[in-house]
Amino acid sequence: MTALVLDQLRKSYAVAGQAALHGLSLAVESGSLTALLGPSGSGKTTTMKLIAGLIAPDSGDIRLGDRSIRDLPPERRGVAMVFQNPLLFPHLTVAGNVGFGLRMRGLASDRIAASVAEMLERVRLTDLAQRKPAQLSGGQAQRAALARALILRPEVLLLDEPLSSLDPGLRDEMRQLIRALQRETGITTIVVTHDQTEAVALADRIALLLDGRLAQYDSPQAFYGRPATMAVARFFGGVNFIPGTARAGIFDGALGTLTLPPGLPEGPGVLTIRPEALRFGEGPNPRAAQIVALSFLGSLTRVDLDLMGVPLQALVTPDTARTLGPGTEVQVSLPPEALWLLPPDA
Amino acid sequence: MRPDRLRLLAALALASFLILPLLPLAIWSFAHGWRFPDLLPQVWSLKAWSYALGPRSGVLQSLGVTTGIALATTILAALVGIPAGRALGQYRFRGKGLVTLLLLAPAFLPGIAVVFGLHGIFLRLGLVGTVPGVILAHLIPVLPYMVLVMAAVFSRLDPDFEAQARCLGATAWQTFRNVTLPAILPGLMTAALFAFLVSWSQYLLTLAIGGGRVQTLPLLLFGFSSAGRNDITGAIALLYILPGLLVILLTARQITGRGAALAIGLRP
Amino acid sequence: MPDLAAKGPELTDRTRLALLLAPALLLLGGLFLAGLGLTLLRSFRYMPALGLTEPDLAAYVAILTTPDFLKSLALSLWIAGASTILAASLAIGAALLLRQTFPGRAVVSFLVQLNLTVPHIVGAIGILYLVSQSGSFARLAHAAGLIATPAEFPVLTHDPYAIGIILLYVWKELPFITLILLANLQTLGEDHEAVARSLGASRWQAFRHVLLPMILPGLAASSALVFAFAFGAYEVPLVLGQHAPKALPVLAWQAWTDTDLATRPEAMAMAIVIAVVGLALLALVARGLIAGDRDAP
Repeated sequence: MTALVLDQLRKSYAVAGQAALHGLSLAVESGSLTALLGPSGSGKTTTMKLIAGLIAPDSGDIRLGDRSIRDLPPERRGVAMVFQNPLLFPHLTVAGNVGFGLRMRGLASDRIAASVAEMLERVRLTDLAQRKPAQLSGGQAQRAALARALILRPEVLLLDEPLSSLDPGLRDEMRQLIRALQRETGITTIVVTHDQTEAVALADRIALLLDGRLAQYDSPQAFYGRPATMAVARFFGGVNFIPGTARAGIFDGALGTLTLPPGLPEGPGVLTIRPEALRFGEGPNPRAAQIVALSFLGSLTRVDLDLMGVPLQALVTPDTARTLGPGTEVQVSLPPEALWLLPPDA
Repeated sequence: MRPDRLRLLAALALASFLILPLLPLAIWSFAHGWRFPDLLPQVWSLKAWSYALGPRSGVLQSLGVTTGIALATTILAALVGIPAGRALGQYRFRGKGLVTLLLLAPAFLPGIAVVFGLHGIFLRLGLVGTVPGVILAHLIPVLPYMVLVMAAVFSRLDPDFEAQARCLGATAWQTFRNVTLPAILPGLMTAALFAFLVSWSQYLLTLAIGGGRVQTLPLLLFGFSSAGRNDITGAIALLYILPGLLVILLTARQITGRGAALAIGLRP
Repeated sequence: MPDLAAKGPELTDRTRLALLLAPALLLLGGLFLAGLGLTLLRSFRYMPALGLTEPDLAAYVAILTTPDFLKSLALSLWIAGASTILAASLAIGAALLLRQTFPGRAVVSFLVQLNLTVPHIVGAIGILYLVSQSGSFARLAHAAGLIATPAEFPVLTHDPYAIGIILLYVWKELPFITLILLANLQTLGEDHEAVARSLGASRWQAFRHVLLPMILPGLAASSALVFAFAFGAYEVPLVLGQHAPKALPVLAWQAWTDTDLATRPEAMAMAIVIAVVGLALLALVARGLIAGDRDAP
């Protein structure tokens, strides 16, 4: 069941420097955790604010279930948004902040208190209930902000870069908390992020936004194995692109003919293989390659190769790297199941 | 001389310079006749005070009128100045420089440059010689001050706080009441206190628009001074600077920190 | 940093902006601009109610050809110029002093702030009681055996050089400029001077070539305000000024309240002359504002 539908959303700004949307359509599954991913200027924040009702679209529609929420003010949408900064109201205590939305709804104070206590328990802030926001650490403030939105049981929860204001050490903890709370509550959640590793680690589905358009909406695995375009592949670290033509399960390009996996389209296209999928040694689609350079990247080593004049990159483990030397000739294999065909670059 | 001695001496000179003109006023208010060449009065007395605070001097009525006018001016200026301050503090728009210029103009153009014309307008509206007329006239120096200070206050307020409140289900009014107002309240209170003082200090606008029928404290003060009643003048003068003293005691820490915007408003 | 323009739909919402600004602009326009406008019209002797429908420059010709007006103008320029220069120079010293720590700093700082709230007329009367020929200083001089009668004490109030008036303005505006400079200095911090000193500048050179240029905009703006005020204030020369020539605002008031209604346009013309001086000062200060406005969308 779809929870949230964005239908041909367009938004342009008179002021330069604001990311515009050029007809964004997206249907988010109910109860899923979706990452809205994209580089800065791709329109992520604009999309978020459109959903929250902080800005109005030039055209297009936003639907929750089967009702349009496009013309509703933010407070009547059933959408709660957590900003990048925790934005805890400085004059209220942690408990006062978490109970804010319920108080706005006019709930009785004993019911608010009970809900707040339960929510604080869940985000492990019970001991800090009476603190003022200024007395909290960054992680605590972010948890309080999350609790403040979750307590409203919104139909859709929007999180704008929830990890970016945290120290690297706290990010993993927060990520797990978000995951756990989302699974527990089943609230349809959209997380805005510019970091693909964060999106992959957090989300069931990723919506990649490039230049104000939806580039691909898919599972995290698909973005690595089956990117829709070269731009998508590049955003996820794709570096090996070989133009040519596919016909009858064979790709003909600068590397000669290569066997393709079944089910790929025919015609002109760009062949791609993830750098970590390139194999050293004997195997299908074998090619002789010259090692141009080795770069130590920490847990992996990058190998720059020259295959028949075509530059390719591979990522290998330290064990493999030890067997390789710059300038030497090696045998590599391009396993068919790792090959993927992209439409030719427009 | 050691530098810190020099510093101390300079500080002493500055302090004396600042306090000296107020001393004769204070002494006069407790003097019963203080003739040349006596350094201090021969006879001390509370007569001036009891006269000033008594019913015949008109000081108490005048105090009421002055306070009422200053309060009304401040409240009006706040009601109009808060929205305008938000516009100036949180928005970028064409013509913002021009609006700021209009707000600065009353600080640069003395009251005498506009008050003759204003008198002509108020005469037609039946506002000359009335308290509402004087209140409106006082808005000329008070309102720009309020707007400029509130603009500074709003420019320090992250608009995302309000957006966050809306996203948590607060209506526009609930957001203002529960988020915006608590955030701007300290700045608003300071602005209001000083706006009160700006109105409190007006002389010329009250004289011209009040047409002699609205007797605020400074007019009364000048009356007693030119009548040669130095003792009563001294007492009224001390009463007259009391609110300023209270405001400074209430806000002392904020002034040096925020400085310019607040001080600019104190152009009477 | 998120772009400011991203903070809500309101930024493009001109209606909302207009609604926020309208009450303040209408009030200020209706009072300040209308008052100034009517003063201007009447200075051209345009008063349809009195049958004067042909604007002319007669009032301006009349005041510019009277020695009284020219003397008053000169006196007011002298008062404003002398007060501003004295107050500004002393304020630089006071600000530098108050930036440092010394015993009693809180007291001096309190006095500076208190003084800011004292109405001008109170200060003027205080100065009168302090330095007039029978004032406290004269009494001290007598006690010291310097003078025998009040008449021997130098004339410092109601005097041709307007010493009493200037003294009052220095007393009153010194704290004003000092506080603005102090706020300025606090924002700047002390790093720039420290860098200058480490580059071989003497204490004086660091002040002259580094600190002073940085506080100059604030100093100029506050000095311009002081000049405008000292030039146009009415109640101070009313208390401390001499009979003739009068300070310009007092002369204008006298012309306006004259029983001879024919002098009213002249009063209006004098008010406009005062307004022009204020506008010129505002223009000097505002050049930066207008330049900044061009960048706005």
